[in-house]
Amino acid sequence: MATTTAAVTLTSDLLSDNMSVSASTTCMKAGTTADGLDMMEYGYVDITSGTAYDIIGNTPTASKASKLYVKNHSTDETYYISIVLDAQAVGRLYGGPNDTGDWMFIPADFHDANADVEITATGGTNKICYALFHEGTTLVAS
Amino acid sequence: MATTATISISSDIAPGFGGISASMTLTQAGTITDIDSTTGFQIRKLSAASVVDLVTMANELVEPEDSQAAKIYIRNIGYKDVIDKSVGVTIGVKSEPIGKLYGGDWMMMPLTCIDADDITATPETADTVVLEYVMFFEEA
Repeated sequence: MATTTAAVTLTSDLLSDNMSVSASTTCMKAGTTADGLDMMEYGYVDITSGTAYDIIGNTPTASKASKLYVKNHSTDETYYISIVLDAQAVGRLYGGPNDTGDWMFIPADFHDANADVEITATGGTNKICYALFHEGTTLVAS
Repeated sequence: MATTATISISSDIAPGFGGISASMTLTQAGTITDIDSTTGFQIRKLSAASVVDLVTMANELVEPEDSQAAKIYIRNIGYKDVIDKSVGVTIGVKSEPIGKLYGGDWMMMPLTCIDADDITATPETADTVVLEYVMFFEEA
């Protein structure tokens, strides 16, 4: 079985006592407890500002257990990318100095052909790293 | 110390893939100033296969600023130490499903915090499941 593990550590001093949360999950195929995700796409791209792009070229099999990671590696904190899924604005990932820019890690439904993950850069050319872990995709015939 | 989040991903799917390790400091939009508000850490027990608002933006005691750098962390922690990876809870924004958190799965997602863009949760079954979550945002 292929094994993909995603771990997070979250700390904050916004509360009266420091908060620290750690979690780890093994990414399984939908509805199974013994078979891990076994396919992936991984990329590092420059996104010029002003145009919306689908970050995933092929649509993974719908309604499965795909996981999507995206990080903004731009070093300018005023640069950001907007994330849109099926015409629904989700949020923004800002850049940051010393590679402290925002990242996200979400389960990605891809429930229909319109549910591609769309990103639009603002401020300038944003440097984006992304990885999609999934269990099947429909390739586009050449 | 600020608010920071670090992710580490390892995988043996693709030969030569060296994994991912990344950190972010949660800041206010377009600045290096630390983000200033949070809902605090919360849990929500769900026992029906119907949609509920996990976060109702218009009802937050501290009004979040729209379209800034807000983030939410959500994890499906199962129920009473039983974590079932075969069933999950679909997390959505407004009426749009984002994806399903199976038992033990977690997510970190940016948010618009626009009043209409509530965060929803829809369990796959009526079996009790608990979500833990915390939202970070800018005060309006």
